[in-house]
Amino acid sequence: MKLSEIAQVIRSKNAGPRRLTFDIMFGSDDDYRRVAQSPGLSAETIGGLYGVPAAEVTIFPYPVGRAIKVVLARKIMAGDPGDFDVYGAQQHAPLLGIEI
Amino acid sequence: MSASGRVLREIRANRRPLRLLGASGQLGYGVPTPAFNAGLARKPDMIGCDMGSIDIGPTYLGKGEMATSPESTRRDLRKVLHGARSLDIPLIIGSAGSAGAKAHLDATLEIIRDIARTDGLSFRMAVIPADTDREMLLTAVRDGRVSGLDDMPALTEQDVRDAANIVGQMGTGPFRAALEADVDVIIAGRACDTGIFAALPTALGFPTGLSVHMAKIVECASLCCVPGGRDSILAILDDDGFVLESMNPDRRATPVSVAAHSLYEQSDPYTVMEPDGALDLTNAHYAAVDDRRTRVSGAAWRDSTDPTIKLEGATKIGERAILLCGSADPRFIAQSKELLPKVGIVVRDLVCEDSPEDYTLRFRVYGVDGVRMNVPPNDTLPGEVFIMAECIAPTRERASEVVRTCKQFLLHYGYPGRLSTAGNIAFPFTPPEISVGPAYRFSVYHLLHVDDVDALFPIEVETL
Repeated sequence: MKLSEIAQVIRSKNAGPRRLTFDIMFGSDDDYRRVAQSPGLSAETIGGLYGVPAAEVTIFPYPVGRAIKVVLARKIMAGDPGDFDVYGAQQHAPLLGIEI
Repeated sequence: MSASGRVLREIRANRRPLRLLGASGQLGYGVPTPAFNAGLARKPDMIGCDMGSIDIGPTYLGKGEMATSPESTRRDLRKVLHGARSLDIPLIIGSAGSAGAKAHLDATLEIIRDIARTDGLSFRMAVIPADTDREMLLTAVRDGRVSGLDDMPALTEQDVRDAANIVGQMGTGPFRAALEADVDVIIAGRACDTGIFAALPTALGFPTGLSVHMAKIVECASLCCVPGGRDSILAILDDDGFVLESMNPDRRATPVSVAAHSLYEQSDPYTVMEPDGALDLTNAHYAAVDDRRTRVSGAAWRDSTDPTIKLEGATKIGERAILLCGSADPRFIAQSKELLPKVGIVVRDLVCEDSPEDYTLRFRVYGVDGVRMNVPPNDTLPGEVFIMAECIAPTRERASEVVRTCKQFLLHYGYPGRLSTAGNIAFPFTPPEISVGPAYRFSVYHLLHVDDVDALFPIEVETL
């Protein structure tokens, strides 16, 4: 099953101008646990999708909010020449198809 | 006695839970009136509004311009001023004018003074500028008291001199000092959004961890609810926790929605770094009061042994001009990756005949790779694309020359297999070239290590 079929929210945004953060939120504790325990959502998978080394991907399980947070370094600082998404709000799409 | 003096005296004499109204997370983009009025009817002890963010990018900070329109900014300021004055409670606004530098603060104050004059309001107002003194910062750079945030390269003396504006994010202390100065209204330059709402409770001795956690949530108004939104939110804080309630009856603050808000725009959902300490949410607890209200407890506060002020600065890098056009030719689209840089070379050879190559020219092909950080190798090509060429050059004239030349040679560029020899691109309107204005980049995103995090933010009081 794809992540987009389980999650209620899959979003990206800057956390400061040099970090990109993704929040994946679930409607039930069962859905949260299923994804949190799945090998599909790993630093390797996410690094591969975004073209960054797995070591630069941080994943925070956040059970109290039924959510998983992922943090990456931005390749281009927000607003620098060559930036393509100043708020970082449209970088979530590659996550949608992750197989859980 | 002014509003802050009255509220502090009243609650110190007769301690009770504190009621705080979060009116807006982005003052100037509209404050929905029904929820705001519902909040006033609940007799809050203060009204707070956040007005700025670093998210909007470096140009507003550098140029000294607000992101919001003057008309909507005035409408919002008028609404919250009248609300606060009608109840004689403090109104606290942080990060004035979108980016919180002197120009933004001055523009905000000008609107407030004009509203007071026009509407016959009189009040005492504390103003807290957030601009960083350059000489002080140069000394700090030399002394090694400045460090980069999130792998930002070390700050140089040249960076400090070149920046158009540098601001520091004040913490809760300056707001608290302003409240103690017996005022009705507090307008701060760049500030931590928590300072707006944590100042009053911490001045009254409510636990810092709970106060800062509450502040971190209500500064975004009803964004912590389902469905999230911009309506005002009420927090009722006591010594053991706080209850959140949206002032729009259709928005519910649930334990999961409130807990999930700690994720928003944060790189760590369990820790919020502040100038003088850290908010620790490891043991935060969220419990439903009913289906619309949640009670939050358990946040802890750790004082910092290394107090810091987060600095933000923007430097002008040139003038920006853009070209907007599209294509529906499958051969052009298939070759765009190779073809556009070649157009760039044609442009360079023309505009640099008697001038140095003093500009940058970038193409973004929307539909192909305009938005994504990393495009998968087997991505299918779309039926049409939107193309933006962006030039940053030393002058407006030079940037305009480059994009105008680019337009003509992109229109007529001959590429292998070309069938549409009358023109490669479609213009939605003409002229398709636009001078956007000065371009800036963030040159300062650093921590300044200081002994006294509040000393950098002096308070001025004026009577209107």
